[in-house]
Amino acid sequence: MALYPGCLILQRMPKYEQAARAVLGELGIAPQIVQEAACCGAPVVESFTADWVHLSIYNLALVERMGCDTVVTLCGSCTNALIRASHALQDADLRTEANRRLQRVSPDLMATDTVTVKHLVRLLAEREGELRARMVRQLPLRVALTNPCQVFRPGDVVGIEGEDPMHPQAMRRLVELTGAQAVEYGESGDAENECCGATLYLAAPKLSLAAGRRKLEATHRCSADLLLQGCGNSQLLLRNFQSAFLRDAPDLHQPALFLPQLLGLAMGLPKEALGLRENLL
Amino acid sequence: MKHPAACIQCGDCVEVCPVEKVGGHAIVTFLADPDAADYSVWLCTICWRCHQVCPTGVDIYGLMMERRRHEAAPGGYQTAFERVLRSGLALPISQEELDQVRAAWGLEPVELPPADLVHILLHKSPSE
Ligand code: SF4
Ligand code: SF4
Repeated sequence: MALYPGCLILQRMPKYEQAARAVLGELGIAPQIVQEAACCGAPVVESFTADWVHLSIYNLALVERMGCDTVVTLCGSCTNALIRASHALQDADLRTEANRRLQRVSPDLMATDTVTVKHLVRLLAEREGELRARMVRQLPLRVALTNPCQVFRPGDVVGIEGEDPMHPQAMRRLVELTGAQAVEYGESGDAENECCGATLYLAAPKLSLAAGRRKLEATHRCSADLLLQGCGNSQLLLRNFQSAFLRDAPDLHQPALFLPQLLGLAMGLPKEALGLRENLL
Repeated sequence: MKHPAACIQCGDCVEVCPVEKVGGHAIVTFLADPDAADYSVWLCTICWRCHQVCPTGVDIYGLMMERRRHEAAPGGYQTAFERVLRSGLALPISQEELDQVRAAWGLEPVELPPADLVHILLHKSPSE
């Protein structure tokens, strides 16, 4: 199995990769990182040219060259882009053109649409039984999770079998394995499916931060102990940018974890192996 | 932008759009009301909710991306795009810095993509 962390996790959030590796290691999975990987192309390059798809196809070809049939991803946007690119490869003309370009990068690169792209949430959800057996303690925590939106929609292309694209349950089930309570929050009680606003940041920072604040106000009202993400973009906004949108409301600050950090804690893994500095228990 | 024939202007997309909830107007504003002028195709969190709920299967995402390619980009997008053209990555980092990050977290080393990669894949020169 290969691991494609994407630009953000690779460069800015190695703790997410570290925690994911620690939890996967307990399941006997030791994914190899994709060397020389490039940006997946979406949404930035896609906003400028339809050729963006060749970036994602290049990454899929790297996975093929490693001899892997599955690549695990950690962010929503790269998951979505890689899966859409793999669908695009079903078009014979595009596949020919993509391979022509890949040949010019390196003669041993080929994209034949044999790679399955799995976001960490999906990979872990498929191993729910094994994970349950690895839990050594129950965490007395109230968790406000945010589903990685691009992992579940559009349902007909990137969706996960058995999951409602608008109300996916996989992450909630994983949280509940740890004994923590996945609280319902927001006016609708459905804010776990409300967008964090992160992807809006590039175009409109103010609106993006307003979406983040909306979310933090909702999690505060439901007295959650922590926020939980399964996407780097989401944590970038909801954790790293908290001070930007909570300048006048410091009491709204809340800790935020990645899903495998929470799972790892319940599995009894040491904090250092999970990239965790927060004291939660 | 040409209003898609399949759209029945039901407004379901507006109902679910998180941009609308924080006071912005994304492409969905135009879909529900073709006369609306106060919207931007760049205001979108790429959450695919509109796409998912549209009863007539309008390719809202595709339409938005197509339109973006004809309109001036906000600074954040422009900068990120130019960075990908130059380095193959959306965020700046040198091989040396990356080596340090990986070592500090006890993770195996990672090679950055080849310098001419994006030029070949997108048929574009790094200065474009
Ligand atoms: S949901 Fe579909 S049909 Fe309804 S307004 Fe939006 S694009 Fe048009
Ligand atoms: S994909 Fe964009 S336009 Fe559609 S609902 Fe989400 S934020 Fe709004």
